[in-house]
Amino acid sequence: MAERVLLAGRDGPLPSSPMKGEVPAGASGTIEDRTSTLHLPLHGGGREGAVSISQRKKTPLRFADLATYILLILGAVIMLLPFAWMLSTSLKTRGATFATPPQWIPDPVTLDNYATVFDSVPVGQFLVNSAFVSVTSTALMVLFCAMSGYAFARIEFRGRTLLFYAYLATLMIPQQVTLTPLFIIMNWLGWTNTYQALILPSSFGAFGTFLLRQFFLRLPREIEEAAFIDGAGYIRIFFTIAIHLARPALATLAVFAFMASWNSFLWPLIITTDTSMMTLPLGLSALQGRWSTVWNVLMAGTVIATVPILAVYVFAQRFIIKGMSHTGLK
Amino acid sequence: MLRRTFTGLLLATALVTPAIAQDVTIKYMTFSAAPNYLKELDATIAAFESEHPGIKVEYETAAWDAYFTKLQTVVAAKQAPDAFELNYENFVTYADKGALADLTPIIAADTGFSTSVYNPTALAAFSQDGKQLGLVESFSNVVLFYNKDLFDKAGVAYPTADWTWTEELAAAQKLTDPANGVWGSFAPIQFWEFYKTIAQNGGSILSPDKKSVTIDSAQNIETLTWMIDKVNTYKVTPSDIEMAGQSSEDLFKAGKIAMLRTGIWLLGDFAQNAPFKWDIALEPGKTQKAHHFFANGVAVSANSAHPDEAYQWIKFLTSSKAAVDLRIAAGWELPAVSDAAAVQGYLDQPIPDSREVVFQALDSAVVPPVIGNWNQLTDAVGKELEAAKLGQKTPEQALKDAKVAIEGLL
Amino acid sequence: MSPANTRQRYLALAVLLGPSLAGMFVFLMLPVASSFVLSFSSWDLIGEIQWIGLDNYWKALADPAVLGALRNTVTFIAGYMPATVGIALGLALLLNRRIRGRVVFRAIYFVPVVTSWVAVSLIWKWLLNPQYGLVNVALGWLGFKGPGWLFDPQWAMTGVILTSIWKDIGFVTVIYLAGLQDIPEHLYEAASLDGATPWQRFRHITLPMLMPTTFFVTTISLISSFQVFDQVWVMTQGGPAGATSVMVELIYKNAFSYYQMGYASAISWVLFALIFAVTIAQNLLQKRLDRSDG
Repeated sequence: MAERVLLAGRDGPLPSSPMKGEVPAGASGTIEDRTSTLHLPLHGGGREGAVSISQRKKTPLRFADLATYILLILGAVIMLLPFAWMLSTSLKTRGATFATPPQWIPDPVTLDNYATVFDSVPVGQFLVNSAFVSVTSTALMVLFCAMSGYAFARIEFRGRTLLFYAYLATLMIPQQVTLTPLFIIMNWLGWTNTYQALILPSSFGAFGTFLLRQFFLRLPREIEEAAFIDGAGYIRIFFTIAIHLARPALATLAVFAFMASWNSFLWPLIITTDTSMMTLPLGLSALQGRWSTVWNVLMAGTVIATVPILAVYVFAQRFIIKGMSHTGLK
Repeated sequence: MLRRTFTGLLLATALVTPAIAQDVTIKYMTFSAAPNYLKELDATIAAFESEHPGIKVEYETAAWDAYFTKLQTVVAAKQAPDAFELNYENFVTYADKGALADLTPIIAADTGFSTSVYNPTALAAFSQDGKQLGLVESFSNVVLFYNKDLFDKAGVAYPTADWTWTEELAAAQKLTDPANGVWGSFAPIQFWEFYKTIAQNGGSILSPDKKSVTIDSAQNIETLTWMIDKVNTYKVTPSDIEMAGQSSEDLFKAGKIAMLRTGIWLLGDFAQNAPFKWDIALEPGKTQKAHHFFANGVAVSANSAHPDEAYQWIKFLTSSKAAVDLRIAAGWELPAVSDAAAVQGYLDQPIPDSREVVFQALDSAVVPPVIGNWNQLTDAVGKELEAAKLGQKTPEQALKDAKVAIEGLL
Repeated sequence: MSPANTRQRYLALAVLLGPSLAGMFVFLMLPVASSFVLSFSSWDLIGEIQWIGLDNYWKALADPAVLGALRNTVTFIAGYMPATVGIALGLALLLNRRIRGRVVFRAIYFVPVVTSWVAVSLIWKWLLNPQYGLVNVALGWLGFKGPGWLFDPQWAMTGVILTSIWKDIGFVTVIYLAGLQDIPEHLYEAASLDGATPWQRFRHITLPMLMPTTFFVTTISLISSFQVFDQVWVMTQGGPAGATSVMVELIYKNAFSYYQMGYASAISWVLFALIFAVTIAQNLLQKRLDRSDG
């Protein structure tokens, strides 16, 4: 869900992701609600599992712990199956791909599929394009959504609710029918086959704005009030105070934005005309043939495409857990 | 002084410009080249450009699944490439909607070139109302593949051109071996197989003028019943569940299917990966022969600013010796040229023995009954066939419902 | 408390909201508005646009395909939402215990979220394979005969739902984990002193304190489930016999396979009206609950 939850993400995984962002309507964060409760713990971790700590001192390994482990490990196996299978298939020879019964450990193990991927498409170029487009659009998305989220949360102006509804409405129309108008707009701007056309549409989105607005709504106003008294305006307060307090929330959005941009397929397909501009999912789609698909090679390509986002997630995991708790869910 | 220099510059530019303007760049969009035949495409373009100085070809590729989404979007924005590849069914749609340039006058003016270089049936597919709206690039068809080892083991004679469904069923029943998971014969139950199989029993989906719907005829009901009976009654064909998600070609390669109706695009794969003796034959029919015919063509956009240059390119791509040779050598589909010598390289390949069957099948080719709302027709009929296959409807009821659905689309 | 004067406020708006608004307008609102305009037209993408008023809407409301897709979409939501939310909550409670390897587990449960639908559909087609699939094999151990899953119109949607639950649990779990971390510890301490059982603590502290998270989760899931598409497209393409045809799949087909962009736009706006109504209802319900809590 994550990649589709995001970002007007003008798109997602193959063959096209219609899923756009959603509307979090957290308690005391409803759409028209502007005052909201002020409860906000500014530091996250450290309190989890408080109940079991005290009990554990008495009995080192309780039945509940054992049951937890068994359940978690069982679940983890089920969760990892497809990834493991993807990895395993990518290391199989063609003959072993559909062996019955299926082989979990490839025999023989081969790296040929990876070589085939690198031979048949310029993977290096695609990786560079994907990384550049994803990093840039993620940075812009986080910046624009933080600024607009702060403005919606803190600055009163006429038509604020209405404008916010207009933002949200963009999440509720499937991408399939906005794709063609967007292409015509880009063409009119003369931006087809350019980096800005790849980057900018995924640099804006109602989901990110809403997520960060919810965060800023919950920031105690006392923190900013001292600055107001010193004569600072909204802009200075945003850049010197608010944005730093929002770091966990920004990290959360960054991971989601990166995922959405990295997996994006339909928009790059339409807007690029040159192989040298293609992003990874688009370039790898060529591995799926019209009549038949060579699954072991396709899986090698999928592994190449998946590992970078997995790395980004693992790196940012702490931020996500801590960040989420401040994005207006309470 | 300054002004004079400036005027001079302008003059110089004006003089130079015409020379530059002769260098025309053609944009070409293709689905069949990526990712395996980009080298051949590059080589074809290089050969073309050296033969036609002043015309450059730039191409973009998209995978089949995504190609038409992309093509429709650029066409909608009036940014269609000068030339693009179309399969036959989509050709009809684009031609109906006036998106393709009429090549008839250009061909007429092209002295020294005759369309007789193309296979006439295949070329005719890309014309409409007497206008040639595209050139045929390649074709494919479907024939009967059979596993010789399984036939030998069961002591059954190999299929011949005389076979009908009766002989096929008798052989299939002998070849089916449940203990070893071997099935006698396989053909899918879906729209594409259906329109060909009904033709083998003299049936059709639409009347020849495409004005009335004939899908619920008595012989079509008989044909659909036969297709389903092979699964449910005679049990010589695996059901979807019995296939367990494996494709028919993988089952064939694993030696689990004795006779398989499938496309010649699998010849290369089977030659490499089927570890037994096999060959191809014409498909058995009931009252007559009928074989699929799938063609790809190349068309020039109606909005192209350089239709003449685009025509030169698609002519070269589809019929030049350089392009044909490159295709045959790489196995990049089969060029639809009439010169038998040009495709000799194809026939000379050692596996399977009876490669000439591919060309014999053309004599009984059936072209799909394409109408403007083609994709809706295939979906609607496909859904009814599926209902019949699943036993939700009788073949008769399914075809009656299909008729109503098609009538809504004409 | 806002000390800023009007001029300052407008300057701040221009700087902070301006860039976002400009981008939203050009890249999102304009295309969305275009689709609304196109919903009153007949456009095959190739020829000229013809204006036909409300015809597309009348057609959509009478179209059995729309009705069928809507019914299947609602079935999907009904099967997917409660299970996803329930399992994710349970998983979050487990992952919130102070156990060894918690960080690793949290990463593992997120793996499906980042795995591509193409890979996911492949393995799940295999797991749900009627003959050899692990699911039916396991059911066999328990003495049940497994169904035909994706090949059986009665069970195909269940197969799609199971796969979707599996893929999205990790995402919802992360949100619940975040919610759990903000429950004040002293509530549990007080309850322990009063002799509350674990179930009572869950029922009277955890669950009510997670209400806002639950609202967030159900709302975002609702909106995304109404637009369910990817999994259907890669697993069943709407089949067998239309059993898994859903709204966005219908929209995609109409737009790019049937050359009916105007009609596809009209169906999209029917869908929009539904999602919008549900979102408003959700918002109102939540306000009422907030008030009764306070």
